[in-house]
Amino acid sequence: MKRIPVFVMLLGLMFAGAAAAQDAYVIGATGAMTGPAAANFAPVLEAMKAYLDNLNAKGGINGKQVQMIIQDDSGEPSKAAANAKKLIAQDKVLMLVTSSPSSTYAPLVVESKRAGVPLYYAGAVCPKETYPPADPLQFCSTAYGATLDSQAALAFVKAQSTEPVRIGFATMAIPIARAEIEYAEQLAKQLGMTAVDTEITPPPTPDYTPFATKLKDANPNWVYSWSPWVSQVRTFEALRRLGWNGRYITWAHLNAEEELARIKDPTLYVVGTNALFQDNLPIHAEIRATTQRANLKYPATYLAEGFIAGLVAESVLRATAWPPTPAKVVAAMNNLKVDLKGLRGGPLEWTADNHFRTTQHYRVWHWDAAKQAIIQIQDWQAIPVKR
Amino acid sequence: MQLVVNIVVLASIYALICCGYVLIYRVSRVVSLAHGELMMLGAYGLYATASLFTGHPLGAIAAAALLAIVLGGLVYFLLMRHMTGEMVLAAVLTTIALGILLRGVIVLVWGAQEQHPLHVLGWQNVALPVGPRAKISVVGLTLVLTTAAVYLGLWVFLRRTRWGIRMRAVGQNPLLAAQRGIGLHGIYALAWSLATFTGGLVGMLIASDSALDQGMVVIGLKAFPAALVGGLDSLLGTLVGALIVATAEVLLIHYVNPLLADVVPFLVLLATLIVRPWGLRGTREELDRV
Repeated sequence: MKRIPVFVMLLGLMFAGAAAAQDAYVIGATGAMTGPAAANFAPVLEAMKAYLDNLNAKGGINGKQVQMIIQDDSGEPSKAAANAKKLIAQDKVLMLVTSSPSSTYAPLVVESKRAGVPLYYAGAVCPKETYPPADPLQFCSTAYGATLDSQAALAFVKAQSTEPVRIGFATMAIPIARAEIEYAEQLAKQLGMTAVDTEITPPPTPDYTPFATKLKDANPNWVYSWSPWVSQVRTFEALRRLGWNGRYITWAHLNAEEELARIKDPTLYVVGTNALFQDNLPIHAEIRATTQRANLKYPATYLAEGFIAGLVAESVLRATAWPPTPAKVVAAMNNLKVDLKGLRGGPLEWTADNHFRTTQHYRVWHWDAAKQAIIQIQDWQAIPVKR
Repeated sequence: MQLVVNIVVLASIYALICCGYVLIYRVSRVVSLAHGELMMLGAYGLYATASLFTGHPLGAIAAAALLAIVLGGLVYFLLMRHMTGEMVLAAVLTTIALGILLRGVIVLVWGAQEQHPLHVLGWQNVALPVGPRAKISVVGLTLVLTTAAVYLGLWVFLRRTRWGIRMRAVGQNPLLAAQRGIGLHGIYALAWSLATFTGGLVGMLIASDSALDQGMVVIGLKAFPAALVGGLDSLLGTLVGALIVATAEVLLIHYVNPLLADVVPFLVLLATLIVRPWGLRGTREELDRV
């Protein structure tokens, strides 16, 4: 007798959930909310959700609420696959969002193609398929982009160096990072630099000193690293403890601003595409306020990327007429121009052929010992994204 | 010279991690697969106490060490005690479940962002010269000294103290030990407390040397081959195993390919298993049972 009311209640809840979903734009996200890679990926989805929740509080989009369902995949392909299946088949999402390591991409692409639901990389590295000529269903707004980041970093190295450049490379043993460093090695040679050594660390390793020792012994005057932050910064710190005095340039991940202020090393440079909070833009104040309202665990400085994803999702859904379908969402994504309010060097533009962006803008920052502050050492440099 | 320093530091890390595996296995025949998570929790404990006791770093460290000891006892009394008398496999599976639970709790409490306990303590990890051409970080040196102190302390404890001798007796024959009036639950709880304490120490030191994030769980598992190489029920064997694995790893990184770093411990383990499956100083009979 006791089981019947529970069963009825569950049915009621299911119908209530379905009814609510039918009256809302539903997007589904899978991300590394836990696990070793979570620090790089989880803040993006949390900030994106906080942005959309804030939007809902102001009345939603086109008079409808936006429902964002987040599933944790811990950065594991099998969990990402299960999440994608559930989000598409059960939750009927209009768009699949991911913020997880590249090892999870393959099953997401399969599920996205099977259902005709667009796959949006919001905090995960942009795959080649989003560059022109783009895959019809894959889109990316994440700051870092393969090959372009190395072009920007090595152009900075060349511009800063008066002496011949002997450059070392450091990365993590994950496919996309290794491929980028291999590209950077070739590019460095084309730019007249001498590539002296490449260190590839496993994810994770208890002590980075053995890798740094080998790198230091190769005697580079510059080191470039492009990988998850943990590998980038720990290799750098190990090098410094060994007495290496060269210059180190690396990718500005979500925590770069906080880390530059912690390390306080004037010759540690970070190259990135998102404006730092030291710029104190109006959007930064908005991010801080939303962070407080949503009571997020991460510092506001981690959340710009997630806000960009929120701005993108808002623009896409505004251009998606009610009743929404994945096909209408894809059509909206194929013709998109989002004002990022200064968070990047220019607007984010997607076309039918280019699902990455038409121009990528880079800045470089470092710690200024005299001013005891992070300063820009290079303002926005535009790199056009070509076919 | 720098390579020697690197080997000693890495061997110390592996030896201090493996100490926990060995203590629990030696007494209860259970391989704790939650050791990485307990290490990580010990490190988060330091981060929490460092934030609480601002300006009192030594107090924060002492409080974190005490927390680790209490945590080990709690794990035994609240969870592992109920596995006494059950199949070893059930107990091992319980430790896996415990690990998953701890990972979730840590994310809920502290989030996934990287933390720097040493920075919160107000200390810096400076480098010290070792001879004319090598350097060691202060935390690296502390790691080496701590490992030496822990192993020496355990040797004295197991050989010279009443509780240590009881612990060895329980490890050799729990039924006979119980018949002689030794309280098994007290001994098992002590083993868990000591293992969590040593695991917590190495977690705190790794987090202080570099940073604290969820990757520490994987480091805990990566050290496990060193314990198997040395013999899972031998502390001395673990020291030797850690030294062999660390030497192979550092030399191959330097002279062959850094990509080998991940596979070296398992290559050494495979070689040992072929030649001497019970480990360099392990007890043959014990491993046959497993």
